[in-house]
Amino acid sequence: MNLSLDALAPWIADALVLLGVTVMTIGMYGIYRMPDLYTRLHAASKSAFLGVISLAVASMFAGEAAITERAILIGALLLLTTPVSAHVIARAAYLDGQRDAPAETMMAESNERGTRPVRSPMPD
Amino acid sequence: MHETVFYVAAVWMTGLLATGVVLVIRARSTMVRILALDTVTLVLIAVLILLAAARRTSYYLDAALILALLSFASTIAAARFESEGKVLS
Repeated sequence: MNLSLDALAPWIADALVLLGVTVMTIGMYGIYRMPDLYTRLHAASKSAFLGVISLAVASMFAGEAAITERAILIGALLLLTTPVSAHVIARAAYLDGQRDAPAETMMAESNERGTRPVRSPMPD
Repeated sequence: MHETVFYVAAVWMTGLLATGVVLVIRARSTMVRILALDTVTLVLIAVLILLAAARRTSYYLDAALILALLSFASTIAAARFESEGKVLS
């Protein structure tokens, strides 16, 4: 099997594309299932951003210089602005009065499943 | 990349786009709606990057760059307007 970089490039790009799509799917599922806004922010900002970065790295294997330059630019821009967006949404929700989902919702789920409810390790 | 992977990824990300739009419609508070719109735009950027990589042209990446800037600015503007009543304080 030819193991030079030219022959391996399509396979590496494949793997990165599939990884990015998987991570973005997990992020979307997290937004759907998480109980309140702050945990949804975790899922959206981290997972979706990592998926896009993985796809941008996969696009660098296409071989054109123009694509590589712009992909690096998009990656750097998203790296700088995604945390700022997440922070502004969290701050706006906090100033609006939204707080964490009550622990009873998560305890009720674990009671349904038949396990003991877990107390938070943080002191009240 | 191989064609099969490109087709599968493009179809799957279109499904993710549809899921994001359903999340935008079904959200109960405005903040979750803003967050879901930001995520839909991120998925759209990912679709554009995938197309650029498969067709080996750089023009789709210009559109992705502009979308990233616009989503950032509009998320901040919408969140600040929703909580404080004005965008620039």
